[in-house]
Amino acid sequence: MVDVIPEPGSGLLDQYQPGGAFDEAFDADGSVRGTYSRIVERFRELDISEVRRLENLVADEFRRQGITFTVYSEEEGTERIWPMDLFPRIIAAAEWDELSRGLSQRVAAMNCFLADLYNGGGQAIADGVVPRWLVVSSRGFERNAVGIRVPHSAHCNIAGIDVVRAADGRYRVLEDNLRSPSGISYVVENRAAMAKACSWLFYDHPVEPTEQYGRMLRSTLDSMAPDGNDSPHIVVLTPGIYNSAYFEHAFLARSMGVELVEGRDLVVDDHTVYSRTIEGLVKVDVIYRRIDDDFLDPVAFRPDSTLGVPGLLSALRAGTVTVCNALGNGVVDDKGVYPYVPDLIRYYLGAEPIIDNVPTYMMWDPDQRSEALARLDELVAKPVGESGGYGVLIGPHATERELDDARATIEADPRNWIVQELVQLSTLPALAEDQLEPRHLDLRPFVLTGERTEVFPGGLTRVAMRRGSLIVNSSQGGGSKDTWVLAPETP
Amino acid sequence: MRLGIAYRMHFRYSEAVTESQNEVRVRPLHDEHQQVLSYKLTSRPELQVLPVADYWGTTVEYLGIRTPHNDLELLAEATVETRPRPEPDDAVAAAMLADTDFRTTHLEFLAPSQHVQLDSGGAVEERAVSAVEGASAVQDMVQAVVADVRGALDYRQGVTDIGITLTELLEQGAGVCQDFAHLATGMLRSVGIPARYVSGYLFAADETALDTETADEVSVQTHAWIEAALPGWGWWALDPTNGGTAGERHVVIGRGRDYGDVPPVRGAFTGSGTVEVDAEVVIGRHVEGQASTPVTGPGPSRPAAAPPAPSWRHQQSQQQQ
Repeated sequence: MVDVIPEPGSGLLDQYQPGGAFDEAFDADGSVRGTYSRIVERFRELDISEVRRLENLVADEFRRQGITFTVYSEEEGTERIWPMDLFPRIIAAAEWDELSRGLSQRVAAMNCFLADLYNGGGQAIADGVVPRWLVVSSRGFERNAVGIRVPHSAHCNIAGIDVVRAADGRYRVLEDNLRSPSGISYVVENRAAMAKACSWLFYDHPVEPTEQYGRMLRSTLDSMAPDGNDSPHIVVLTPGIYNSAYFEHAFLARSMGVELVEGRDLVVDDHTVYSRTIEGLVKVDVIYRRIDDDFLDPVAFRPDSTLGVPGLLSALRAGTVTVCNALGNGVVDDKGVYPYVPDLIRYYLGAEPIIDNVPTYMMWDPDQRSEALARLDELVAKPVGESGGYGVLIGPHATERELDDARATIEADPRNWIVQELVQLSTLPALAEDQLEPRHLDLRPFVLTGERTEVFPGGLTRVAMRRGSLIVNSSQGGGSKDTWVLAPETP
Repeated sequence: MRLGIAYRMHFRYSEAVTESQNEVRVRPLHDEHQQVLSYKLTSRPELQVLPVADYWGTTVEYLGIRTPHNDLELLAEATVETRPRPEPDDAVAAAMLADTDFRTTHLEFLAPSQHVQLDSGGAVEERAVSAVEGASAVQDMVQAVVADVRGALDYRQGVTDIGITLTELLEQGAGVCQDFAHLATGMLRSVGIPARYVSGYLFAADETALDTETADEVSVQTHAWIEAALPGWGWWALDPTNGGTAGERHVVIGRGRDYGDVPPVRGAFTGSGTVEVDAEVVIGRHVEGQASTPVTGPGPSRPAAAPPAPSWRHQQSQQQQ
C-alpha cells in the first residue's frame, strides 16, 4: 500500500515536499501513508484545470445554498463564500476509535466537574484537585448557575474540542469549547457539496456519513427535557440575523425540525417558558441557545440585553425548562482551568487521559512563570479568557519589543495568562496556485452528551491557506476540508 | 431583640405595563445571630412566588406578571429575634493578613467587584493606606478605615446613582449607606483586608447616628453595612454610615461582594411608560401584648431614571439609603 513518488512532472503532487511538521498523507521519506493511498492516486490523475473546475462546482453549490461566513473587518461584516479545499482529510477507523474515546473521556470529566461545581458542593475543590481561588476568579464561573438542576448532570450537551496533531504524530487538545461551539453546519455542508461535485473521489472509501447530525442533536436534546417528557418542545434560540453564525442556527433548527426563535418570541409566565406561536402560547421544554450567558435574561444578567428572555432564570430555578448548553460552562473554557483537565480525568474517572494537553505553563506559579518567560521567544502566550486565537502571542514570530511587552503584561496579571509549547500543526496537501502544497491544519470534533455521549464522526478541519502559517481561522484567511472518518473494515 | 419588619414596595407605571419579571431579596437571613420567626411575601396583583437560596445563601424570590397592570405592590413581612454579635477581644496582628491560605480563602472579598473597582495606586488605595498608617492590629485598621469613610463622605440622599465609581464618590464627597459601604469595602480590600457588603434592615430612626432611643416603631429604608474578615477570628460587622458596629438592631438579608449581589429588587418590564417606586420599611420593636407592627402609608416617592430605548425597560432597583 506504499506508493513511490514518481519522477517530477506536471502532476499536482509531483513537487510535494512535506516540511518539518507531521504530514497526514506522506511520511518523512515521502511515501504515501496507507490511509491516503487511494485519494493520492486519484489526485495524481487530475490536472489543474480539472481541479479548478471542481472547485468552482463546490463554490457554486455553497453559493446556491447560501453557505457563507462573516468576516468582521473594521466596521461592517462582510459575507464570504465558505472556502473548502478539495483534498480531504481522512482518518482511519482505528485512529478515530482512539481519538473519539479520548474526546468522550475528556468531555465526561469536564461534565463531572461542572456538575460538581454547580450542584455537588465542589468536591474537586475540597480535595485540592483544582484551587478554589482559580474557580471563583474565573469570569466564566456563573454564580447564578449554582443549584440549577441539569438532567443527567449533562452540563455540556454540545462540545467542540480543538485538537491538533503535533510533530510526533500524536493528537493533543489545544482548546475546549463548552459554551456555544460553532462549525458543525459547515461539516455537514462540506460533505454535501463534496459528494455532489466529486462523488467519484469517495469510491473505495467507506466514509462515515455526516447528514445525521440533526437527528443526533435532536435525540440528545430530547433526553434533556426537565420532566422526562419524551417528545419535548425544543427551540433554537439565536441572537438574530446579524450574528455571524446565524446561518448555522437556521441550519440546526431546520435539520432538527424545530423552531428557530429570538428572545422576543419567548415569554415566561409563572416560571415557565412559552413560545408565541400562531396557535397561541406553547410550553417550551428545551432551549438550544446560541447566545451567551450574560444575555440570557436581562433581569438576572445584563440589564441592557434585548436578546434574552426576561424571567428565564426563574424558569430554570423552577426546573420547568432546560437550557443547552447549561449556564456557567465558561469556567471550563477558561484557559486557566485547562491545565487541570488531565487531573480532572484522573480524579473523576480514575483513568489516565487518552489525549494529552499541549504542555502548558501556569503563569500564577512563580517557578513556571520564570521558566516560561525566559524562553518566551520559543513559546506561545495566551490570555485565558479568549478563544479563536484572539490576543495570542506566538514567540518565534514576535519582535523583541512585543516579547518584552508580553512579559510585563503577564507579570502584572499572571492569573489571566498561560504559556504553551509551540505546536507544529500537522499538514496535508492543499491547492496553492497550480500545485498541492503542505498546509497546516487543526480539527474540531463535536461531542454530544445527553442521556448518552456520542462523538460525531470527524468534525471541522480548518486549514491555513498560506505556506507556513499556523493561523487556521476562516476569519483570517483559513479554509476548510471535508473530514472523512473511515468505517471499520467488515470482516 | 424581637423586631417586626414590614417592607412595602409600590411600582407605579405611567402607562400600563404588559409584563414585568422581578427578583426580590428582602427575606431576613436565618442564622445563629438572628432567628426568623415568621416571614411572608405577598403581592397585589396576587402572583406565584418562587423562593430559592442563591450562591451567597440569600433567599431570592422570583415573581412575574403577564397581564396588563399600572401598579404592582409587594409586601414582605417578617418577625425576627436578633442577638448581639460577638466582638473581637484580642488584637489580631496585621501581619496575619499576608497569610496565603487566608488570602485565597477570602479571594472573592479581596478582589475588585462590579461596584467596587480598585485602581492600583489610585485615590482609594492612597486614602486607605494613609488611614491605616501606624495601626498594628487588624481591628484598628478596620476602625481607622470606617472613621476615614465617615470623614470622606457626608450623608446626603439623592446625590448618587448606583453606577457611581469609588473615585467619583470620593470627589463628590457625599452619598447614602450603600456608598459608605462600597467605599469602606474598597478601602479595606485595597489594604488587604477581605470585606463584604451586607444588605439588611436597621432599627433606628436615623441611620447616621445609631439610635438608642426607645422608639417602638420607625419608618426607614433598607440599609447597608459591611463585614471585615479578621484572620483567625471571623467576620466583624461594622456600619460605616453611623460608625458603630452592627448589632442587635441590624437585621441581615444577605451578603455579597457588593450591592450587585444582594439588590432588594431587580426587574424588567415591557411597556412604553416610566416607573415610580415607593418603598418603605416599617420596623417595630415587639412589645409584649401588643399586635404586630401595622403598615403605614407610602413613603417618599422618587422618579426612576429615564429608561433606555428598547421595549424592555429595566428597573435596577430603588436605591437603598
